Amino acid sequence: MPSLSRRLANWSALCRGPQMLFWLALSLAGCHPTVSNPLGVESDHHPGPPLRGGMLRIATSSDIRSLDSAVAFDETAAVLEQLVYAKLLDFSTAGDTFVPELAERWEASFDGLRYDFFLREDARFHDGNPVLARDVKRSLERTIHPDTPCPVKSFYERLVGYSDYVKRKAPHLEGIEVTGTYSLRFRLTEPDATLLSVLALPIAAPVCPSAGTTYDPAFSTHACGAGPFRLRQWDQGREVHFERFDGYYRPELPYLDGVTVSLVVPPFTQRLKFERGELDHFRDVSDLDAWLFRRSPAWAGRGGWEQPRSVFGIFLNTESVPFRNRELRRAVASAINRDELAALKPGSIQPASRIIPPGIPGHDPTPGQRFDYAAALEHMRSAGFPYSPATHQGGYPHELTLLAPSDGFGAQAGELFQQQLARIGIRIRIRALRWSAFLAESARRGQATLGIEGWGADYPDASDFFEPLLSSQSIADEDTSNRAFFSNSEFDRLLLEARRETDHQKRRELYRRAEQIFLDEAPWAVTHYVKKWEVWQPYLHEYSVHALLPQHVAFTWLDLPAKSRALALRHALPFSLTRVAGYGKLPGGS
Amino acid sequence: MTRLVQRLVWSVFVLWCVITGSFVVNFGLPGDPVRAIAGPQARPADLQAIREQMGLDQSLRVQYVLFLKRLVHTGPAHDAAADKAHRSCKTLGPLHFDLGMSYQQRRPVLTLLLEKLPATLLLAVAALLVQVSLGVATGTLAALHRGTFFDYGVIITVLLLISMPTFLLGIGLQYLFAYYLHWLPLDGDGKTFFEKLRHVALPAMTLGFFGAAYYTRIVRDEVLSQLNQDHVRTARAKGASLLRTTLVHVLRNVSLPLVTLVGLELGGLVGGAIVTEQLFRWPGLGRLSIDAVMERDGPVLMGTVLVASVAVVLANLLVDLSYSLLDPRTRR
Repeated sequence: MPSLSRRLANWSALCRGPQMLFWLALSLAGCHPTVSNPLGVESDHHPGPPLRGGMLRIATSSDIRSLDSAVAFDETAAVLEQLVYAKLLDFSTAGDTFVPELAERWEASFDGLRYDFFLREDARFHDGNPVLARDVKRSLERTIHPDTPCPVKSFYERLVGYSDYVKRKAPHLEGIEVTGTYSLRFRLTEPDATLLSVLALPIAAPVCPSAGTTYDPAFSTHACGAGPFRLRQWDQGREVHFERFDGYYRPELPYLDGVTVSLVVPPFTQRLKFERGELDHFRDVSDLDAWLFRRSPAWAGRGGWEQPRSVFGIFLNTESVPFRNRELRRAVASAINRDELAALKPGSIQPASRIIPPGIPGHDPTPGQRFDYAAALEHMRSAGFPYSPATHQGGYPHELTLLAPSDGFGAQAGELFQQQLARIGIRIRIRALRWSAFLAESARRGQATLGIEGWGADYPDASDFFEPLLSSQSIADEDTSNRAFFSNSEFDRLLLEARRETDHQKRRELYRRAEQIFLDEAPWAVTHYVKKWEVWQPYLHEYSVHALLPQHVAFTWLDLPAKSRALALRHALPFSLTRVAGYGKLPGGS
Repeated sequence: MTRLVQRLVWSVFVLWCVITGSFVVNFGLPGDPVRAIAGPQARPADLQAIREQMGLDQSLRVQYVLFLKRLVHTGPAHDAAADKAHRSCKTLGPLHFDLGMSYQQRRPVLTLLLEKLPATLLLAVAALLVQVSLGVATGTLAALHRGTFFDYGVIITVLLLISMPTFLLGIGLQYLFAYYLHWLPLDGDGKTFFEKLRHVALPAMTLGFFGAAYYTRIVRDEVLSQLNQDHVRTARAKGASLLRTTLVHVLRNVSLPLVTLVGLELGGLVGGAIVTEQLFRWPGLGRLSIDAVMERDGPVLMGTVLVASVAVVLANLLVDLSYSLLDPRTRR
């Protein structure tokens, strides 16, 4: 769910090049790139109820480090955690509301300082133990425990007693009270509108009593929760096998016998496996493949875009010269032509003008920052650095350094920004760094003047973008997440008020006002959102792209007879007849 | 015997240099391992807690001394995994070997290395077999048919294979043999021995064809020079067949530079064939080491460096020893 996967970027960088070269070689040899026919098209008209049984096979280009919900907090882990763990509540498919899971219902007190949860009594862990209120408390305490290397435990810092607990001054977290066998209460030091969101994350999922009360790395390979599937085997670096949990609280689900997730499969190999029927769903689709599948009529209706959940842009260090100057920041925000950027990767890059991506509630579709060359020149003049495009005279007199991650799209985007900013008289030099070096350097005070940054949603709430990226609370000398070092007291006040506000409409209005300050101050030039195209075989049913969770396959079903017939037919046909055209000009080509 | 002891002492010194150098380089690399562990979205307070928990807030000197102390130490001669203080150790009686825990995978580094080593060795041996057998056969034949179409064909193929990037060759083989012809699996490593043999074929061919080109070139030149030697002409004049002359008098002399090359190559292959392993999802050390570099996983990086250097040192030791078997003159 969260984050921009660095591993994915590395993989993409390694594997996209070879793939492009390969297709280029095929093209030069006179062959058009094609995709194979979908398998089991007749399954579209499958009569009757869903079929039970079958192993669903999916793949990911990255590896997983852990299956322990307390520490595994990245996108790949999220795919697997949704199979093993059930949470108190979950995000709806559209991502805008909550749906009950282990909690039948919950109630918030009028002052927003107390939340009572009532658990269903028929839920069981994979080891057969019932899911009790004390397990919920134990699991969350285990996540927040000072010995647990959870990267985001501070999500729960507003629970009463959090500080004492993480400093080992208290043996338990006072803010979670077990009020009955199946009921518990969360108490907060101040109202927090994000509590339900962070309780819907896998890090808050109840884990089996065998997990104990403190973190133990060994639990990762024996992950045990109350989700629809249980972990059968994890071949490190190869595959993870899950089998149906018959004691799942929804007895009719899941339909599948199991799920197999292949790890670290390069996108090119994933595509070959998908076409051979060895994968039922294909998510790490390269830009070129996405274009081929989208163009093919045979694949119409068998793929979809994931809603963008990440925002990318250029942070401008508001503490240092020259971007202390607000007019100069505005000039940069106006000089970036987002459409030119989108043309570099047609389809998967969506021009952005606001910091909240479209997949997140609170996104405002009206234009925010936008390309306006005349306005950019005017801002340069107001900043005291007038620039003449005719004579190329003027502009900011010194060369600036733009930090960019060398993996993936960062360096490529950096080159475009370099050209666009040169048109208003700002000369930049690109300093491309490996991801870990980029993160360290850009997060250190006084190091970066400007740089390319991305941020993905940890949970679907505007606060998850505004607070880490722009609140003065997030500023630190090292490891800051506010890389623009933006500090504005009114902005901070609005964020705090919005976090405390439980009324949906009022919160939205507070964030709208905060965003207006952001647009005026321009600590970031927002540039783009990234979309991913997914594709699946026709015999995979009841799959739809979830607004927040990648590869949400737990409750899908397979029409295996249709798949078998299709594979038999494919093996009987000559190779050329198994292809469908992805003909036409290559994307971006003229 | 004295020479062997001298070589062993020298090897240990080389290993210490490599370890120390790698430690310093790893520490000095830009980037924060804690960030790599926690991910880009971790909050500052949580990052600091993790840094202290993993001892990464200590100085280089303290971390280095701790690393060396832990590397080989003594401890209880029982199952170390049950003992929290020795959880990342592998024991040999009272001797404990410990490379620490992986930052990323949170598992003992030695366990990770021992899991990956068999796959790496299998791939290295299979690739070497392809390289040497193909290289020697084509190189010898090309030399024996010097100036013919066969010879020119071999030279052109060799040039093509040497210039072609490994990944392109790998993708081509994968597409042809696995996707189009369905003869071999696309990737992975299989479970049973025979499955493993089937799975290793494509990566071994990728590495093998690439390496065989070098061997062909060297063997061809060496065989050509040997064919002009007096002892070969004498053998032929005394009525020895071409096959016998080639096998007994020519190839034996060619084997000396060949063995040197094989030794160096084996060391390199054990260190990990990074691109090939990534492409074919071969679970070897190459993939482990590249992940460790990318994710600033210091303990794993040190482990892979150690294995690679041990492999190179051992391979060179074996090559040195084999010289005296192949060439009696070197025994003096």
